[in-house]
Amino acid sequence: MTNKTPLYDEHIKLGAKMVEFGGWDMPIQYSSILKEHENTRKNVGIFDVSHMGQVFVSGKDALNFLQKIVPQDVKKFSENHAHYCQLPNLEGGLIDDLIIYKLKEKYLIIVNASRQEVDYDWFLENAKGFDVKLENKSNELSMIALQGPKAYKLLALCGIEEDLQPEFFTISKAKLFDLDVLIARTGYTGEDGFEIILENSSAPFVWQKLIELGKDFEIMPVGLGARDTLRLEAALCLYGSDIDEKTTPLEADLGWSVPKDKVEDYNGKELIMAQKLGKAPLRKKLFAFEMQDRIIARHGAEVYIDGISSGVVTSGSISPTLGKNIGLCLISFDKLSENLATSLNTKEKSIGMDIQIMVRNKLYNAKIVKKPFVEKKYKK
Amino acid sequence: MTQTPPEGILCSKSHEWMLEEGDLVKIGLTDYAVEQLGDIVFVELPEVGAEFSKGEVFATIESVKAASEIYMPVSGKVVEVNEELINAPELVNEDVWGKGWLIKVESNSLQEDTLGLLEYEDYQEEVS
Repeated sequence: MTNKTPLYDEHIKLGAKMVEFGGWDMPIQYSSILKEHENTRKNVGIFDVSHMGQVFVSGKDALNFLQKIVPQDVKKFSENHAHYCQLPNLEGGLIDDLIIYKLKEKYLIIVNASRQEVDYDWFLENAKGFDVKLENKSNELSMIALQGPKAYKLLALCGIEEDLQPEFFTISKAKLFDLDVLIARTGYTGEDGFEIILENSSAPFVWQKLIELGKDFEIMPVGLGARDTLRLEAALCLYGSDIDEKTTPLEADLGWSVPKDKVEDYNGKELIMAQKLGKAPLRKKLFAFEMQDRIIARHGAEVYIDGISSGVVTSGSISPTLGKNIGLCLISFDKLSENLATSLNTKEKSIGMDIQIMVRNKLYNAKIVKKPFVEKKYKK
Repeated sequence: MTQTPPEGILCSKSHEWMLEEGDLVKIGLTDYAVEQLGDIVFVELPEVGAEFSKGEVFATIESVKAASEIYMPVSGKVVEVNEELINAPELVNEDVWGKGWLIKVESNSLQEDTLGLLEYEDYQEEVS
């Protein structure tokens, strides 16, 4: 049985093609992935992201509990700010990646759809001994994302003027069409935009109103297909494809998000910190690549360096913005010469390196490139 | 997709169409297949001169979502491929029965190979 979001009927009305994703029946596209992608970059797209989970954390030990489960230094989080975090297991591998919002008296964790249960079990297990209250509101709350350069104009037209809109990577309470909602200036496209968290019962009404008022800004509903190409251009990881329980934050090239001076102990700290400080070698690393030959290398395709099978494509698609074929790949260092491994581990040396990727039993040329593929247009 | 297919089109259950044109057989993808695939971004076609049996993979079509293998509805030798698709793969989406054709083949076994292929109306029923 797949779950349906409260917006399921809206998707059907809009003629969406539905697919199963992470246990949810979700729209993959409404009209065309390419059009939805381009329109999000140019105007504004509206996305149903209600499949994502929301867990509130409160209580005396909320901070200590969070300090234990993420590598990020939660005591440094300021109120109303969003933080990109990971949920490592005891070996430093990623159970999930998260956004944590620090609200006035509690924290709000956004978890991936497919990881809701695993994460929540992990939270419960780790909450033992802490005076902490966990509220899984995933089945009560919906999430609608507005992404694109005109998202802020649409929100202003809905009565939330520009100077009242949350700043980049912050969250605020707001009244939207007289309803109490949370609005965060976050997203998964590399564009400026918002994620609106609201009661399930309000979701269809708000969705319809946003589409109606969004006509002035050429709004289009966007499915998971374009969400994937948009996030890939921004080189944002997709849990289950690019990262998993066998990959540490450093190996996933998320080292920028891991502080090196966090005093508190946390799950997986030993390996994560050793890798962060260069005291333990990375076993593998996530790289961005651009195809030189005209072919799309997709998830699962084998990567060759110097004729040695040494990795796998974790995400691969066309970049509608660049008109090129791009992707992310995880390269293992154990089969490569020390020289090659060192070069790959040195950013300046790795960029531009030639790799080959096997597609339908033929090797094609690709190059390692810097991330992101398309510059992010956040309003900071 | 609202275009109507030309007279005489036969469709396979693996969603290819074929149309006899003089001595040659033109092959493409059905409207249903194209609808399912979504935006087509790359078409990998065989070499002219290559020979394939009925049911063999002769091309790969990449949509944004996935790569799909395309099967021969009849046996034959490739005499022409639609080179326009190299730079304009979207023609398959835009004109599935016309400019979106894939290859033309010479076939010596049409009579037996077309057994089991469906007329468009029957095909539509099959996929609906």
